[in-house]
Amino acid sequence: MNYEMFDAKKIIGEVTAAEADLNPGIVVVSTDSAPRTGMGEFIAKYPDRYYEVGIMEQAGAGVSAGLATTSKTPVFCAPAPFTTARPFEMFKIDIGYMRQNVKVIGRNCGFNYSDLGPTHFGLEDMALVRLIPGVVILAPMDASQLRGAMRAMLRCEGPVYLRIGTAPIPKIFDDGDFEIGKGFVVREGSDVAIITTGEISRNVFEAAEKLAAEGINVMVVAMPTVSPIDEELVIRAARQTGRIITVEEHFVVGGLGSAVCEVCAESSPVPVKRLGVPMEFLSAGQYTDLVKHCKLDADGIAETVKAFINNP
Amino acid sequence: MDELKKFALEIRIETLNMLSKHGFGHVGGSLSIADALAVLYGKHMKYDPKNPKWEGRDYLVLSKGHCGPALYSTLAIKGFFPREELLTINKLGTRLPSHTDKNLTPGIDMTTGALGQGVSCALGMALGLKLQGKKNIVYSIIGDGEAQEGQVWETMLIAPNKGLSNFIVILDNNRQQLDGFTDDISSLGDVCRKAEAFGWFAVDVDGHDLAAIDQAIEECKRSEKPGFINLKTIKGKGWPAKEAVLGNHALRGAAFEGVDEVLADLRRQLEAMQ
Ligand SMILES: Cc1ncc(C[n+]2csc(CCOP(=O)(O)OP(=O)(O)O)c2C)c(N)n1
Ligand SMILES: [Mg+2]
Repeated sequence: MNYEMFDAKKIIGEVTAAEADLNPGIVVVSTDSAPRTGMGEFIAKYPDRYYEVGIMEQAGAGVSAGLATTSKTPVFCAPAPFTTARPFEMFKIDIGYMRQNVKVIGRNCGFNYSDLGPTHFGLEDMALVRLIPGVVILAPMDASQLRGAMRAMLRCEGPVYLRIGTAPIPKIFDDGDFEIGKGFVVREGSDVAIITTGEISRNVFEAAEKLAAEGINVMVVAMPTVSPIDEELVIRAARQTGRIITVEEHFVVGGLGSAVCEVCAESSPVPVKRLGVPMEFLSAGQYTDLVKHCKLDADGIAETVKAFINNP
Repeated sequence: MDELKKFALEIRIETLNMLSKHGFGHVGGSLSIADALAVLYGKHMKYDPKNPKWEGRDYLVLSKGHCGPALYSTLAIKGFFPREELLTINKLGTRLPSHTDKNLTPGIDMTTGALGQGVSCALGMALGLKLQGKKNIVYSIIGDGEAQEGQVWETMLIAPNKGLSNFIVILDNNRQQLDGFTDDISSLGDVCRKAEAFGWFAVDVDGHDLAAIDQAIEECKRSEKPGFINLKTIKGKGWPAKEAVLGNHALRGAAFEGVDEVLADLRRQLEAMQ
């Protein structure tokens, strides 16, 4: 499929700068990490509202919480492991427990930092943040959604975590409003439902096309909000198809797959197959090699679907 | 000193060769520590390339783990593994990932990459060796950007309190981090005075003067206090067009343009010394 491609980081910077025109409270906190997050435009426009603290993510989270207490809307962005795992307790207490209006962005999530290896992979960020009550988790799937999600995040009240990758992202969906907490059906089907989130979903859409050509009818559900998850939609997918596969660029434990299993187990038990990154420390490598290794490319997804249908 | 100079040249050559062939890597900070690595592995450290886990070895923890390529070059030149293996950097299944990994590479004793962490692990090693009455020395190289992490200063506080005279921290003070110049972001100020105030034996050194580095390490070894060496370095040292300029932290693809000339020049310098 040929989509127009965009730079996710640029979108983040553009929307932040545009929203900052409307909301003078928006400030950006960086830990040696912002210009590369596409914040160049914001920094040029609002140098006084940009705080570069240095390589100190724990302080970055704390400083953001302090800024929020003085009615600012801080956007703290850095690579995913360094906004979640490194300052986890600060995220939990300073941002989560205090219900601060802090917007945290984890960029280069998943194994987008392919060359930099496991210390830089963001494969547990959603699992960690899901453990902090009241924090919304957004993992937009394309350029339009990312724009919408950024706006929704900056306009809502309360802590939000948004994850993006680095690879160019396609524009798949039409521009429009992004409703936090709502998933949607991308394609109807009856054989199996794939629930997916984040930028890896484009491979799911491609796999679904391939499978359709082979006569397998896959329902595809987009879940750009991972927490709170759209329970109603998960239950509908479970009832409609009787089996679910989750696909995410994240460990199979703790992220979308776990969230879907929790809903199914309590409300509509059906077999669920979680496709994601297996619970092992991967090698450094090239992005496409890593995606393939984890069967998260379109072929790997299609193969997994077929195996699951034949032997659920 | 000539031997060390050749060694440093070779480290730069192997580093630039591997990173440019791969098409990505942390060139700036790898080049700035080449001279310190040459002095450490060429003169001061005890090790056995055929037996990397030899009990009598000294330890080096590269806390600024993104500069693994410079250390891999050093280790390969010294025979820890074949030089050809350098070209496997970051290929799926490699023993040489960008950041140093103790479970993958012969000669690497600590996994690093998340800044600030390596140096406190290094302190734990120094503590463990001291408790066993051993004489091995633990060195740790940190970056000036890295030194903004609170964990670095926690380590700075512990070492003198535990009387770790077997612990030497080397700050690669190349005055640049990722987004720009460290002084524009969160300056370390007079870092030697700070280290002294914490109870360290601290020295300022030109980080590209091999004899001065050698002497500083000598003095740190003699001191009863943990040693702190403020290496004043140039990020990208050895690739003139990249020295101390913005954007030299990590290079990708086209940014390696001109590397062949630099490599040729470095090789000529090396030959002239043979
Ligand atoms: C905890 C953590 N935060 C952020 C990063 C991303 N990062 C990698 S290198 C770097 C800059 C390091 O600067 P410095 O320590 O001065 O290293 P050098 O100049 O020697 O390359 C940053 C921010 C990281 N690796 N770890
Ligand atoms: Mg530096």
